[in-house]
Formats: sequence, C-alpha cells, structure tokens
Amino acid sequence: MTEKMTKHPHHPASYRDPAGYVFQAGGVYYRQVSQRGAADYDWLMSSGLYRVLTEKGLLLSHAEIQEGLNGSAGSGPEEGYKTLRPVQLNFISYPYEWSFDQLRDAALLTLKILSLAIDHGMTLKDATPFNIQFHEGRPVFIDTLSFEKHIVQEPWVAYRQFCECCLYPLYLEHYTGISSQKWLTAWPDGIPAAATASLLPWRSRLNMGVWMHVRLQNMVKPAADKGKGYQAEGVEGTRKPPSFNLQKLRHLIQHLEQIVAGLRPRETVKAGWSNYYGKTILGQGYLDEKEKVFRELIQGLSFNSALDLGANEGYFSLIAAEQNSREKKAMVLSVDADPYCINALYRVIREKELPNIQPLCIDLAQPSAAIGFRNAERAAFNDRARADLVLALALIHHLALGYNIPLNDIAPYLAELTTGWLLAEFVPLKDEKAQELVRNKRQYHRPYDQAAFENAFLEYFSVEKKERIPGTERILYLMKKIRPA
Amino acid sequence: MKFLLLYIDPGSGSYLVQVIIAAILGALFYFKTLWWKIRSFFTKNKKDDLPENDRKND
Repeated sequence: MTEKMTKHPHHPASYRDPAGYVFQAGGVYYRQVSQRGAADYDWLMSSGLYRVLTEKGLLLSHAEIQEGLNGSAGSGPEEGYKTLRPVQLNFISYPYEWSFDQLRDAALLTLKILSLAIDHGMTLKDATPFNIQFHEGRPVFIDTLSFEKHIVQEPWVAYRQFCECCLYPLYLEHYTGISSQKWLTAWPDGIPAAATASLLPWRSRLNMGVWMHVRLQNMVKPAADKGKGYQAEGVEGTRKPPSFNLQKLRHLIQHLEQIVAGLRPRETVKAGWSNYYGKTILGQGYLDEKEKVFRELIQGLSFNSALDLGANEGYFSLIAAEQNSREKKAMVLSVDADPYCINALYRVIREKELPNIQPLCIDLAQPSAAIGFRNAERAAFNDRARADLVLALALIHHLALGYNIPLNDIAPYLAELTTGWLLAEFVPLKDEKAQELVRNKRQYHRPYDQAAFENAFLEYFSVEKKERIPGTERILYLMKKIRPA
Repeated sequence: MKFLLLYIDPGSGSYLVQVIIAAILGALFYFKTLWWKIRSFFTKNKKDDLPENDRKND
C-alpha cells in the first residue's frame, strides 16, 4: 500500500498541458486530470461527447479509478482532480513513422473529432498527430484532455498546429513526392508555413487550398506577429481575438476535410521495394514455394507477437497475423524502409479491418532515434520493438551487402529484438538479388557465405529447423535464442 | 474562476488567417447556394438538388 503514497512522475513527453499528464504505475499507464482541467473534463463526460466519440471508436476509452495513485485530490490548480485508466495500447508509434495514408487518416480523424466536439459545445485545444495512435488497425485519439469548452466567437486555437503537423507534410508529399516521414523527421513538431511555402513547387500556387492555408498564412503571419498578441485575454496590452462564429468554423473544417481527403501520395519517386515480387523473376512461383516453407516452419510455434523486418507489402506479416496462440491472434509489427510498401499494407489492413497488424516506415539502417526534450519524449525504435518471433526474410543480405553491416553485428541485433524465435533467410552471393547489391561495389565484408552466416548466428541462436526454398539457393532458418545479445 | 488554457501558441497570424479564409469560404458558399437555387428554379427540382454537405449549412 506504499504505492498509494508515492508521487509518480509524469511521462517524459507529457509535460505541456497544465490540465493533466500521463504517468506510469506498476506497468500501467494512467492519465491524471488536474484541477485546472477539471471543468473541461467534466464537460467532456457530461455533454455526451465522450460517449459519442468512444462509441464510434474515435477516442480511446478510459475508466475513472478511485485509488488516488498520485496523491489525494486537493483544490490547488495543479492538484489532482481525477485519475483515469485508459485502454492500454500495444505499441506506441510516431507520425514520422507513418505512411501517407496513415497520416492522412490521422488528420481526417482530428477534423472529424473537432466537428463532433463543436456539436457538443467543445473544441480541440491542440491538433498534434502525437495525440493519435494506431490501435486495432485504426487511428484513435488518445488525449482525453485535449477538449475544452468552445467559445463560439473565437477561431480554432489549434488551426496553425493542424496545418504545420498534418496538412503541410501531406501537401509536401503530394506535390514533391518526398515522403511525409522525411519532412516530419526534420520537423517533428510541425513544418513552419514559411518553409512549406518555399518547398512547394510552383504549380501548387494554382491550388486554392495551398494559397489559403500555406501562402496566405505565410503572408499574414509576419505582419500579425508585429502586432499585439491575442491569447492573453484580459491581460493588459492584448486585444480580443477577431470575431468568428460556428458557421465559419464549420466551413473551415469542411474545407480542410475536402483538401485532406483529396491528397494522394505521389509515387513517382519510387526508389524502394514496392512491387518487389511482381517485377522480378522472384514472381508468384517463388513466393508460393517460400510461403509453403514459411508455413511449415512456423506451424506449431507459439508466439504472442511478431516483428517483420523488411516486411515489403506484408505478405508474410499477414500470414503471421493469422496464427493463433492460445486462441489469441499474434500482434504483428511490420516495418519497411519503403513508405509505399507500408502504405500498401496499411490499405489492406484498413480495407479488411485487420486489428492485429501495425505497419510502420522504418529503415533498419537508420531507425527512428530518441528525440524531444532530454531525448526522452519519443523513444527510439529499438527500445520499443520487441517480439516473440522476429522475421528477417530477404533482409540480411541487404544489411550485409547493401549497408556493409558485418554478419557478426547483425546476429546480436536480431537477438536483441527477439525474446524467443528468429526466422531468417539466407540469400547467397550468387543469387540474382545479392548480385544486384554487389555489382558496382567491390568493398563488402568477406566471407559472405552460408558458413559465415551460420557462425555469426550460432553465437546467439540454435538452429531448430532449416530448409531450402525449392528452385533457389536461398535457405530459411528457424532459430531459437539461446543467449542474450 | 477563469483559467488561461491556451498552452499552445495559436500564432497571432493564424486567427487572422482563419477570419480571411472563413470570409472567402462564406462568399463561395453563398454563391454556390445561389447557383443551386437558380438551377433548381429552372429545373423545378427545389431543394433536393443541393449536395449533401451543403444542406447541413442551409
């Protein structure tokens, strides 16, 4: 019972909002509502908005808990008002890891929630996509404290944030073909209007949406910044915000919805692996054989989670996601460096409503780093990704021959990511795909052969099963981890 | 008791931009509605012709 008295520190990323914060206790995440956020929280719950949003699956639901985990309730503005226990998420991902459609769906979700909120006399006080997570295959809003009472005469306070974090990266990918993750990696907290305006190509000037939300904003901002601020209403020396109304806000939301829904990823800059199987001799025949061997190897294997590294369009992720482990389907995390592959997989997941696959754009040679204040707000990919079964299909030759990562470094990395099993494919040097990687490259770590591969992996794993894919020289290994990395 | 809850800076410009954008959209909406009314007058299909989205704001 000592825990009740302990004050749990807030999550390192949950410090901005004075209305409350997220903390962890006993491995469970909770959200603390402070007295400052009490009125808005109560209105969210009593106005019917919470019920509507959770019934539609748009907002993560929670239960109010009675134990005062983080000190007893007091009356000071920073004191605890209530403690919430939200539905726990399997995995946390960040907008700079999402494919185009994932970010677009997150943007549309934000607008839909705002629309429903104003119907209930509330508004969203922020619009960062970090408030959204993918849960059971769909984007869901997780920040219960983002809602505040709507003053109808005021414009949307988070409009600029919505533009910078959602609209601009989508515009940039739509018009330049350079993927949204790249822009959001450079500007995780949103791309300034000035930068967006200078990065968008000339032809975007003809678009009314771009003109209004990027160029006009960029023109108005410097002029307005010289004036007095609006935000400190009632404070001397500041002005009241310009007058707005509900109808105007509805028009604005509708307009943004139409724009976002009409944006498409521009697939002309196609440096990656989408359609990898279709275009090569590694066509359907090869895939059928590989699938047969793959199914044989994972048959009877018990795993609650799988991590598919270099998943391509998720062919094997989808098979792994069917596997039952004690009546429960495994959670599969599918990562690939090619955002178009991940986008294609996300579309399948969305269409078929698959709840247990999480696709993410991750380049294993440059996985997402720990960023934010004190490098503690957003965790590195390697600190989040753990699974009972790691799939490394047609991956290791890319790391070894393409990136010159020694086999002796790849083996401990995979041992770090798996808690039990590894299913790895060895692609020999004479394979067409391996030859493509070394054709113009004399420098790579030698020897690169089956013996060197086995030597490196036997340090950490024992080989349980091993099978050649018929018609090729490729070998699939099912390995069990015997030593921590 | 009134608290200051704006913990993100909306940007002084962003309010002004929204006012301008809303004015443009309002004008567009006005003309669109007018156009539909004229059209439906001639085709004699009163309100049924208005697109779904616009009817809400009518």
